[in-house]
Amino acid sequence: MAKLQSIKEFHTFSETLTKGDAHKKTVIISSATCGLAFGARNLIEAAKKEIEKHNLSREVDVRVTGCLGFCEREPILIVYPQNIFYPRPKPEDIPAIIAESVINGNPVEHLLYEDPALEKAVVHESDIPFYKKQMRILFKNNKEIDPTSIYDYIRVGGYQALTKVLSEMTPENVISEIKKSGLRGRGGAGFPTGRKWEFCRNAPGTIKYVICNADEGDPGAFMDRSLLESNPHSVIEGMIIGAYAIGAHKGYIYVREEYPLAVERLTIAIEQAHNVGLLGESILGSPFSFTIEIVKGAGAFVCGEETALMASIEGFVGEPRQRPPYPAEKGLWGNPTNINNVKTWANVPLIITKGADWYSHIGTGTSKGTMIFSLVGKINNTGLVEVPMGITLRELVYDIGGGIPKGKTLKAIQTGGPSGGCIPASLIDLPVDYESLAEAGSIMGSGGMIVMDENTCMVDVARYFVNFLKDESCGKCAPCREGLYQMYEILDSICNGNGTEEDLALLEELAYVMKDSSLCMLGGTAPNPVLTTLRYFKDEYIAHIKDKKCPAGVCKPLIEYRIDQDACTGCGLCEKNCPQDAITGAKKEPRTIDGDKCIKCGVCLDVCKFDAVEVV
Amino acid sequence: MRIGVYVCECGINIGATVDVEKVAEYAKSLPRVKVSRYYKYMCSDPGQELIKKDIKELGLDKVVVASCSPRMHEPTFRAVVEDCGLNPYCFEMANIREQCSWVHTDKEKATKKAMKIVAGAVARAALLEPLQKKEVPVTPQALVIGGGIAGIQAALEIGNMGYKTYLVERTPSIGGRMAQLDKTFPTLDCSACILTPKMVDVARHPNVELLTYSEVVNVDGYVGNFKVKVKKKPRYIDLEKCTGCADCIEQCPVQYQPQVVEVPSIKRKMDDKDIQNLDTILRKYQGKKGGLIPIMQEINALYNYLPEDALKYISEQLDVLLGTVYHVATFYKSFALTPRGKHIIRVCMGTACHVRGSDKVLDIIEGELGIQPGETTEDFMFTLETVNCLGCCALGPVVVVDKEYHPTTPSGVKALIEQYKTQEVIHHG
Repeated sequence: MAKLQSIKEFHTFSETLTKGDAHKKTVIISSATCGLAFGARNLIEAAKKEIEKHNLSREVDVRVTGCLGFCEREPILIVYPQNIFYPRPKPEDIPAIIAESVINGNPVEHLLYEDPALEKAVVHESDIPFYKKQMRILFKNNKEIDPTSIYDYIRVGGYQALTKVLSEMTPENVISEIKKSGLRGRGGAGFPTGRKWEFCRNAPGTIKYVICNADEGDPGAFMDRSLLESNPHSVIEGMIIGAYAIGAHKGYIYVREEYPLAVERLTIAIEQAHNVGLLGESILGSPFSFTIEIVKGAGAFVCGEETALMASIEGFVGEPRQRPPYPAEKGLWGNPTNINNVKTWANVPLIITKGADWYSHIGTGTSKGTMIFSLVGKINNTGLVEVPMGITLRELVYDIGGGIPKGKTLKAIQTGGPSGGCIPASLIDLPVDYESLAEAGSIMGSGGMIVMDENTCMVDVARYFVNFLKDESCGKCAPCREGLYQMYEILDSICNGNGTEEDLALLEELAYVMKDSSLCMLGGTAPNPVLTTLRYFKDEYIAHIKDKKCPAGVCKPLIEYRIDQDACTGCGLCEKNCPQDAITGAKKEPRTIDGDKCIKCGVCLDVCKFDAVEVV
Repeated sequence: MRIGVYVCECGINIGATVDVEKVAEYAKSLPRVKVSRYYKYMCSDPGQELIKKDIKELGLDKVVVASCSPRMHEPTFRAVVEDCGLNPYCFEMANIREQCSWVHTDKEKATKKAMKIVAGAVARAALLEPLQKKEVPVTPQALVIGGGIAGIQAALEIGNMGYKTYLVERTPSIGGRMAQLDKTFPTLDCSACILTPKMVDVARHPNVELLTYSEVVNVDGYVGNFKVKVKKKPRYIDLEKCTGCADCIEQCPVQYQPQVVEVPSIKRKMDDKDIQNLDTILRKYQGKKGGLIPIMQEINALYNYLPEDALKYISEQLDVLLGTVYHVATFYKSFALTPRGKHIIRVCMGTACHVRGSDKVLDIIEGELGIQPGETTEDFMFTLETVNCLGCCALGPVVVVDKEYHPTTPSGVKALIEQYKTQEVIHHG
């Protein structure tokens, strides 16, 4: 199609798209990275074939969407317009689904979502506990659109915000609207977005840049990946609006190279936007021009830090620099630059279309809007959840998350990635917003929420995070480079049973020095996991040091794998699977593990059907 | 059991610091002690007679002498005891001279210590058993572990004495660190000039057998009769020289067939085709600010690693210092500076995966393939890497092989590796 030359042409065009049959039969299959790993491709193939077989290829659409957030059950198949929800069906189930649900409009009972807490199977997504308490506004359109089609995005109202901005609002209007909404940066620091835009707009200089930070390095966080794979245009639209408000004509999206699908879908989206006339010279005939370039990361966590990110775009190693001057004044190649996180940009079109008033009514007094958390770890319903700010941890873990698997007890919730802290189960009723998390010693961060149970060793968790950061530290400043190394050595020796009580005091001292004097927030927030675990889980540290025991049964030098001679039936499954040949026993007799050969890999624990393997 | 205790005064050597009378008196109270005496010089003839008389008349079966170091007079007293018909190993010596009177000044404390030493000797004597001396044949060979200068010299000396010597060296060549040095200190000799003649000598020595590229894996046996297991590491095909004639496969007596696998050259020299590829990449980013990293990403993708010559070439073309290029290449984790295998296995070490046991999965993969993260298997089939969070936490623990994402478990990962292994064995002929 030819480029759209004016806002009027755009509106005419979008109307033709929305005019289509809103109730057309559609088979929606979610297919982002997780879905693909669990066989979405085969499902899509099977669905298309089956529809062909019934000669319904023109009456029934197959829509391949991005992720629907319920990772534990991806790929998800939804039959529209009845909205019948099928979690992770197999290709063999397709004929039944097509026949019963697509053609006759009835659910196939045995394939529906079943929850042990509910009496009967659930037909509709909205009744599933995982989705019930969520407020999906950023993720709202995920199932409506094929992320590789800009037409789908326009059909559901995409780029309306942009046309509103270009036709009715000045840059100052836009900034004031964003300020009014109370939107805070979703990358982790939570700085008021409107104010940041204002600084950048007011900074002297004619060349300005906007950057989207898609370097989502926090382990356990993948909501940015999901947004980019499922609705890339929402981010692009946000960036165009932001660039207009600030006065920038070039934008960069810095995506980590570990997200190949996101890069692919963004590339397609940008190209399509150019083709339609929504990016490039004179957008929709207006005097505003803007282009976006994708820059791939090269495997460095520190490049998520804004100044390191900019150094990387400039072709250098990702080392942060001193601030002030902040990027808003002096950023990319010395020019005023506005960097925002993926989720922040995606919020912008919503705020413009629905208004700052609407937005500021969601959330708490100081934390407005919704937040996307990646609920992972020891939790039944792993997935991406979008909730209003202020929801409690209890609701997140139990109502939405479905509680802890295998009947274990909740021990802690880790928020904010390696910059955050571990919140103990005793604070389960804490409302989730920027301030209360900070008071508890953690941070909101990019929204990673890792649930830990009684078999998670908190000292090991602290060591894990310090180890991660020690490897990712750029090495420029001594407090971070040396401090992390020393903290790791101390934590490692505690986990190996060689710790002393003096170590704890030294850890704390190191932590405070790093907090005060690191050049950037990698080193500045690195002590958080250590400080929070010391604060809330000191008894575990003491157990490791004084008793040389790991109560959670994790730290290998302090535990032993044993077979309960009473529970063991002698089936020999463990012996067969042991990679070290460490298990012996006569036929049908209980097995024993040779402690010298055992590497504590956990395979025997995994395969034993009788719970006979214990960790002591 | 009847133990006799004899405490020696040794003139002033012991007597000046230890009250030997008290010690002898004390020894009387020890269990199984039948007689306890003290004398000026136990090693003298009259002293020896004392012992002999007591053995005959009192029927002693164990003797303890508290005097000087056994290194001095143990043989003396063993002979005394043997002369009386007792087994010479039923004798125990307590050193209250070198270990007591000669190193202390406080008489009271030294006497007390001497008493303790004697008590210990008496207790040990009670446990002594008669021993028979016998002769054992000794294998007149030696094995030297380590083929550095020390090992080479040792092998030469033993070999020159006429004994067969094995010299085991872990690396493919003997010489060790000295071969890497320029000069020795303080003589300031040329290191290689001293070393290499010895290397030649040991290599041609009729008594010395060199076992290079081999490792000692087990030592059994005892002094004079060791049984040592040496592992000779497998020899490989030099890819630079291999012409693909396949004669080796025919001749190889072992069942293991060399696999015909497409293997990246170790040190890839840039030929004309490569220069063309590099130029195409450079042209794409010409004039672009910050192009260094994307250029390197494309080269990394093309060759599966960053060849040294490629980096040198782009350093010249872009007019960027080679040091800067290497600074960037070594900073970012996704760049590899050594050739990688056909299949790249990336294990996610993100927090969610960690909590779900990714370290256990990594352990098992390390065990299966025999490599650590960052390394490549010797047949260039697999490279193992860790990744800090792929963002697929619901699949955790996640392992990505090439572009395929695999949710795994400790019990399932072995089968996964097998799957990739068996896909690749191409039988020749």
